[in-house]
Amino acid sequence: MALTQKEFIQMLRDARSIPLVVIGCAGELILFAFAVHTSVGHIPMVVVDQSVSAASRSYIEAFVESGSFDLEAMADNQADAMHAIDSGQASIGIIIPPDFARQVLLRNATVLMLVDGSSAFTSQSAYQSAQAISEAYAVSLTGQVASPLTTYIQILYNPDLKDLWVVVPGFFAMLFQAISMNFTSLAVVREREAGTIEALLVTPIQPIELMLAKTLPNLALALVNTLTLMITSILILGVPFRGSLSLFVILSLLNACCGLVMGLAISTLVNTQNQSQQLSGMVNITGMFLAGVMYPVYSMPLVLRLIGYVFPNTYFVPIARGVFLKGTGLPDLWPQALAMAVLFVALLFIATRLFRQSLD
Amino acid sequence: MEINLNRLYALIYKETVQLLRDRRLLLFIFGLPILELFLYGYAVHMTVYHIPMAVVDQSQDSQSRDFIQALVNSQYFDWTMNSQSQADAGLAIDRGEVKVAVVIPPDFSASLARGDASVLIMLDGTDNAAVQSGYSAASLVAQNEALRLTATKINPGGAAGSGALPITASTQVLYNPDLIDIWLILPGLVGLILQTLGITQAALILVRDREMGTVEPILATPVRPVEIIVSKMAPLLGLCLLTMAVVVGLGVFWFGVPFQGSLFLYFWMSLLFIASCLGLGLLISVGAQTQMEASTNGLLFMLLGMLLSGFMYPTSIMPALLRWIAALVPVTYFIRISRAIFTKGVGLNFIWSDALVLLLYTLVVIFAASKSFKQRLD
Repeated sequence: MALTQKEFIQMLRDARSIPLVVIGCAGELILFAFAVHTSVGHIPMVVVDQSVSAASRSYIEAFVESGSFDLEAMADNQADAMHAIDSGQASIGIIIPPDFARQVLLRNATVLMLVDGSSAFTSQSAYQSAQAISEAYAVSLTGQVASPLTTYIQILYNPDLKDLWVVVPGFFAMLFQAISMNFTSLAVVREREAGTIEALLVTPIQPIELMLAKTLPNLALALVNTLTLMITSILILGVPFRGSLSLFVILSLLNACCGLVMGLAISTLVNTQNQSQQLSGMVNITGMFLAGVMYPVYSMPLVLRLIGYVFPNTYFVPIARGVFLKGTGLPDLWPQALAMAVLFVALLFIATRLFRQSLD
Repeated sequence: MEINLNRLYALIYKETVQLLRDRRLLLFIFGLPILELFLYGYAVHMTVYHIPMAVVDQSQDSQSRDFIQALVNSQYFDWTMNSQSQADAGLAIDRGEVKVAVVIPPDFSASLARGDASVLIMLDGTDNAAVQSGYSAASLVAQNEALRLTATKINPGGAAGSGALPITASTQVLYNPDLIDIWLILPGLVGLILQTLGITQAALILVRDREMGTVEPILATPVRPVEIIVSKMAPLLGLCLLTMAVVVGLGVFWFGVPFQGSLFLYFWMSLLFIASCLGLGLLISVGAQTQMEASTNGLLFMLLGMLLSGFMYPTSIMPALLRWIAALVPVTYFIRISRAIFTKGVGLNFIWSDALVLLLYTLVVIFAASKSFKQRLD
């Protein structure tokens, strides 16, 4: 108990990093809210209109009206359009040939679109929207015949396709683990680097007590962080919380506990804070990718999916999304919750053994 | 006041030896970017295929099967389960068993013939892939199907498909015709990796010395503060360049990403960029008391770089305030430069403005850092 108190005091004395962490996380989330636009609009477009006719103007109009493209510049020829894309002024170029108007009447017009393939999100979405707009316009030209098929696309839980809503639960998952893991490992390694761990070991303190002392303050930090982030995302950013609050907090803490234990394990593998930082960075990044925080697990090769199973976030991401946005509870999520609990026990077992060994 | 070159050389030698001695750290330092590269290379697809899909086919006729087949053929969706009703499919999405459900009402063929058929596609709005790729893929497939059906209606005997339409758009993706993900990611990733490495290592090394109290003994010698800084930064610069070579080399030779531009220009731009990151790390080290604080600051910059630099999300559509913040992170400039040289293969005449800003940035940061560093030491 006294030892835990010592760790708490040590952490609080290092008071500069606590607000940094808590505010930093909340700030990061708010930044996320404004930065993340997975569905790209307002793609800058350069147009070469060699036809200069009513037909070509209304074709261009269709692009601008869609909201996906902004008419950035007009160019004289294809080379100029290429130049605009090379220099990054535009991300898509549309080249309308001189005989466009006549060919439209003959039902034989062609248009060339140049898409900037160098930036990740823009290329894909520019490519698809441009195709879709052009086809829709072409269909509208064929006139009277309405399509015999209407498709309704319904986005469950997130009808307006708000990118932020999708990102927030993953953000919780990523952050807790990163912070609790990194800090726990640093707390142990710092002691080792400074040589004060020997001093602690000559006292009658048990390794298990030392472990608890190192992890409990970080658990408290994780709890504070959970609450701040929930307040930020629900009250400031307006992300709906549809499930059970207590279930979410409990499972978040379980996830944080997994992170703490992983931190302990990492601390036994490194000698300096710098090493600890790098190693937890590696574990974090792997976890971020393979646990489906940002990229879906189901589209990954089997080997990577299997590796993903040892990361607690693999189970926490569906839990966070389920409880936060879908409003589902334990009846639906018990397999994930159970898996996470089992994983926690296994990690705890490994970490305790490693930790004891490293102390001897 | 003059810098003694012999002394400087000796100091650089000492720092290099110190850096090289920590084998485990070096392993982690090189391991991290390689790991990142492989994860991006094998785990990540900007366009997500094989999204699990539930099918509620209440019609069970050839037209409904055609529609489902079109969804499956697009490769975006995997038909993983059948449901009896829309409610069942909704539950499957609730449980996370599937991310997409398509509901085809009874009498599909008949209503198609009448021209008033409808299909419902439900997407899991909590899954980022379903929201991004799934949504656009579903709309595209649905539109194509509608197009095909319209075309056959306009022109029953003729060829189906968009051939019947008055306008055909042929799209050409520049620089990356097959839209290969790793081609898109690598130039940005180089910048992100170098920035993280440069900032955290520069900050950590200086703060560690202060934390351990090893700065004072050195200061007692005739060594000048400038020499200390230069000697600490020189091996890091080498380390960063080496990391860059490893990442670019792996990208080009293992993943086959074509390097279009001038390697010479790329080298100098990277050098400038690394210098700006080291300067920033130096500046952070002045403000930080402990290694923990320095590393938290470094982490913050890494996240800023990831979110705001244009690495993941385009900067052009961000609010002005965010673009201002992004302008404070050096990787924002470098990503544009890197993509221009690496992927587009253009020269200095296209990137001179970014290069100039980066140069100014570097000078300002290094000036500010050495100034405040000197103050701290005095």
